[in-house]
Amino acid sequence: MKSAAMLRLVTFKNPKNKTLFIIMMAIVLVMALAMPSKFLTSINIQSMASQFPEFGFLALAMMLAMITGGIDLSVVAVANLTGVAAAKILSASVENGTPAGTAMVMAVLAILVVSALAGLANGSLIAFLGVPPILATLGTQGLFMGLSIVLTKGHSISGFPEEFMVIGNGNFLGIPISFILFLAAAYLVSVLLNKTQQGFNMFMIGSSPVVSKFSGVNNTKVLIKTYMLTALLAGLASVIMISRANSMRPGYGTAYLLQAILVVVLGGVDPDGGFGNIPGVIMAIFILQITQSGLNILAFSPFFKKFMWGFALLLVMVLNYLLQNRSSRRKIRLMSNDTKHTDTGETV
Amino acid sequence: MNIKQLMKHNETYILLIILIFSAALTMINPVFLTLENMFDLLRSSSGTAILAIGVFLVLLSGGIDVSCTAIAIAGQYISVNVLIATGIDSIALAFLISILIGVSLGAINAVFISIFKLPTLITTLGTSSLYHGLLLEVVGTKAVNAGDLPESIKAFGKIEILTLTRADGSSYGLSIFFLILVILLLLTWFILKFTMVGRGVYAIGGNAEAAKRTGYNSHKIQFFIYCYAGFLAGVMGVMHISMIRYGNPNYLVGTELSVIAAVVLGGARISGGTGTLTGTMLGVILITILEKNLILMGLSSYWQQFFIGVVIILGVSITYAQNKFQARRNLSIGGA
Amino acid sequence: MSEVFLEAKHISKSFVGVKALDDVDLTIGRGEIHCLIGENGSGKSTLIKIIGGVHKADSGTITVEGKQLSGSQAIESIRSGVQIIYQDLSLFPNLTVAENISVNQMLESNQQTVQWKEVRETARKALEEIGEAHISLDERVENLSMAKKQIIAISRALTQNAKLIIMDEATSAITKEEVDHLFSIIQNLKKKGIATLFVSHKLSEVFEISENITIIRDGKKVGVYPTSELDHDRLVYIMTGRKLEAEPYVYDTKMKQKSPLLEVKSFSKELQYQDISFSLQPGEILGITGLIGSGRTEIVQSIFGLNPADSGTMYMNGEEVKISNPRDAIRHGIALLPEDRLNQGLFDAQSIGDNIVITILKNFLKKIGLLDTTKQKRSANDWIERLKIKTPDGNLPVNSLSGGNQQRVVLAKWLAINPKVFILDGPTIGIDIGSKHTIHDIIRDLAREGMGIIMISDEIQEVLDNCNRILLMSKGRIIKEIDDARTTTSEELYEIVTGAASAGVEA
Repeated sequence: MKSAAMLRLVTFKNPKNKTLFIIMMAIVLVMALAMPSKFLTSINIQSMASQFPEFGFLALAMMLAMITGGIDLSVVAVANLTGVAAAKILSASVENGTPAGTAMVMAVLAILVVSALAGLANGSLIAFLGVPPILATLGTQGLFMGLSIVLTKGHSISGFPEEFMVIGNGNFLGIPISFILFLAAAYLVSVLLNKTQQGFNMFMIGSSPVVSKFSGVNNTKVLIKTYMLTALLAGLASVIMISRANSMRPGYGTAYLLQAILVVVLGGVDPDGGFGNIPGVIMAIFILQITQSGLNILAFSPFFKKFMWGFALLLVMVLNYLLQNRSSRRKIRLMSNDTKHTDTGETV
Repeated sequence: MNIKQLMKHNETYILLIILIFSAALTMINPVFLTLENMFDLLRSSSGTAILAIGVFLVLLSGGIDVSCTAIAIAGQYISVNVLIATGIDSIALAFLISILIGVSLGAINAVFISIFKLPTLITTLGTSSLYHGLLLEVVGTKAVNAGDLPESIKAFGKIEILTLTRADGSSYGLSIFFLILVILLLLTWFILKFTMVGRGVYAIGGNAEAAKRTGYNSHKIQFFIYCYAGFLAGVMGVMHISMIRYGNPNYLVGTELSVIAAVVLGGARISGGTGTLTGTMLGVILITILEKNLILMGLSSYWQQFFIGVVIILGVSITYAQNKFQARRNLSIGGA
Repeated sequence: MSEVFLEAKHISKSFVGVKALDDVDLTIGRGEIHCLIGENGSGKSTLIKIIGGVHKADSGTITVEGKQLSGSQAIESIRSGVQIIYQDLSLFPNLTVAENISVNQMLESNQQTVQWKEVRETARKALEEIGEAHISLDERVENLSMAKKQIIAISRALTQNAKLIIMDEATSAITKEEVDHLFSIIQNLKKKGIATLFVSHKLSEVFEISENITIIRDGKKVGVYPTSELDHDRLVYIMTGRKLEAEPYVYDTKMKQKSPLLEVKSFSKELQYQDISFSLQPGEILGITGLIGSGRTEIVQSIFGLNPADSGTMYMNGEEVKISNPRDAIRHGIALLPEDRLNQGLFDAQSIGDNIVITILKNFLKKIGLLDTTKQKRSANDWIERLKIKTPDGNLPVNSLSGGNQQRVVLAKWLAINPKVFILDGPTIGIDIGSKHTIHDIIRDLAREGMGIIMISDEIQEVLDNCNRILLMSKGRIIKEIDDARTTTSEELYEIVTGAASAGVEA
């Protein structure tokens, strides 16, 4: 699986990915040269690999919504709500002495059910009632986050079974388990997008919902499924979130929303929908994580990072705009040249 | 205007909801309907109302703005720190600095939106993070206690334009914040109604292509919108600190959700062109009553965000579902 | 012709892939009512946009009152007195009548504030000038009828000292009475020395209103004639450029079944069409023609499940079928090639291959529920080859193709489901003449193989050449059925279609 993904990276079906790859390598190089003793150590690499998965899941979630031409502002709130549900079950099990295995199964089930319901709510508002995704998920963001606050009265929940903490903190053959889980999820999303009817239709709806309707696609069904999958990925993020921290505090990870949009756009997903690929988004996540650890090592404050992410998002969007303008101008020129040939060839 | 016409307006419905809600609250607790409580409600909602005016303008032009609170806190925190550092104790200077900051940050939003044609949501999400991050990084994170706060700022928050006396001899009154709100409302109303720029806001929201064809300068209009929203945020920033007499650079950010909720509930459509200032103000009143009176209804303050979410969802669902079914009745999908 | 007001000479313009205009001339005298006619896609809209300064011509000159325009600025055309009223009217639905009329005046005078008194005064005067003072100045434009909106747009043009008003397809969405009213307005303007360029393809109206007619076809000017020197038949002949080589399509009656392939019985839908019944046999090419707004597109969209009818029944091979969405239609073997290729037919930026296979994706599902992408690619490439779509690579976006090739992609996408009934709504709109013939040939071949075809077209000649049976629609009803297309001529059909529209058949 990994080699297949690597192969796809190397062949660069998408020219944008080539640029991303070069940027990623350049950043690694700069970091490695600037602080050889700190950056390229196995401890740092391991810690980087364990830091981003919780956020990586949210980025995958955002990606799905954006491919259909929408956006999901509620991903972090969904992760909070599912996190609270799971945390309640887990911490209760420690108190009651329920076996860890049973508790964990129940917690995961709770996450699945809650995220499915949350996604169903988003999808129904958008697909049945025609509410613009921005407004629908803005509303549910308040609802889900509000619900997590209500359920916890604003306090954090902590104290989970030891076994559960392995997910977020354990290693397998020296590789963080959360990293492995993320790669598996990314692979599955890639299969979803490239090898299933649902994925195919998501791209098409993102390109034009009218044409997809005229082509016999059930837009309502596809959109509801999309937002359910989005919420599901957000729910899975919460598994790693709470197991890494051994606690759940409502309001956790609100900064991830912006970062998720940032990496998805950086990774080449079109905010207007219709385009996007997993290798691009993974590279964008790596770029974000490497920069983040670099800034950490250099002891930049979290505020500076907040500034950086806003800046980077705007920079990427502006660059995309400028590049697109240039390439579309060039494309039209090229096209008018070669279509002229076909035209003269066709005219009787 | 007869009843039939009234029922066509979104405002009528919100007003009805507010009235029903107020009646219910009064029954639970008669204190709700006292003049004193009303004055208090007006004082505490003025800030949200002023931000809502800016967000309303943005929505009217077909955009969305989530950076207003970050701009307000930047204006507030920087101006207060300047006052403290220089020792100049002047509320006028505080407003001036805060407004200047607001307008400049608004102009930066406009550069991305108007010149680089970026989606408004993504732009303002980005700038909001950028402004707030920069504020915390460069200016600092230290809270400003009442003791350190310049006197003029504290005094300003206590000014009352109308003072009444209770039976026991103590007094209460209508805050100057209400006056500021009224002035800004009148100013905005005047701009929207009587200036070409203001008409341009409606025009680009109603039909952007036609606006271009008829000769409106959409760059100029968009710069105006975002700078004006920044100006309002600047004013609100100083008002806010003089009201709560405590400065924390992490305040306000995060409350943009309720501001947008108020405007959307007031009937403004995200697609632009429709909505009124009256509706926006009613939306603010509804949200404020909801936020301030949860405890009165026997619910803890933890429910606040939850309820705002519910209200937004109900508001937009009704509006858009109406749209969708009307469109289905009226016409074949040919043009869709 | 008296004094010349506007003269366009040797105008040529190409867009991506298509030569829209080729050396076209147009001359309009002061106060003249001039008609520009041509079929859909003949280049009428492009020409007026060039005159209005919206597009820049590749070559050629435009002179107004002796002064040559630079040809790239809308404002320059407006200042010289040229006003275009587009089909979409460019109004602000959310603003009042008064503001919509006065907006240009307000902007032109460069004032910073709005004097509402003046705004209302300007609007009132403009409305009075064309005798429409009864329209309320405070009504929001979105609440007005199409005809009233048009009057608002004309009034707005008048506030700009217009000397030439160009109306693009002004009568396509209004009733006969409203058309008469519009014409009296145009005559009135003429008395004030204001010229009108009336862009249309409704011949009866053209004869009623114009003094001179410029005809263009396939981007070239065919000629300019004084209206008095032309009659219907001759104009139709010039306009459609009847292609003598075209063999009419002959239906092989041996293919006829006992119960028809498709039968529609008394379909009705409020405000769209009433009591529509017809049947279709395998091997038939059934033409439906009528003006825009006649209900022809609405009825076929109902058959395809996009716009379910209020009442009526539908049978296929004698059995009743219920179709409430396009998926049902596809399951029953009904395909629809939509009218608006770019907005309804194709995912513009997606690959040619994906555009083709979207209708048959299920066929590539493997047992485990995943798509066999190799098979998917192969199928797409098969169709690219079969329909001779000219592209080096099926992975290229569909917008890299010319109009004719794009239409073949839409054909391929629907042929892939192996339809029994294929509805083609405007199959050759905006396609150059060479590709047109190829597409006609494909359609005929399909019919000969036993497919039932319904073909909608604006072009009477296209329907006559390719269909064995024709339904004429007007205002939501079938007004005539022609059983054998060979027994009639395009002139006769034009007469019926436009005559019915003018007679104001009750809907």
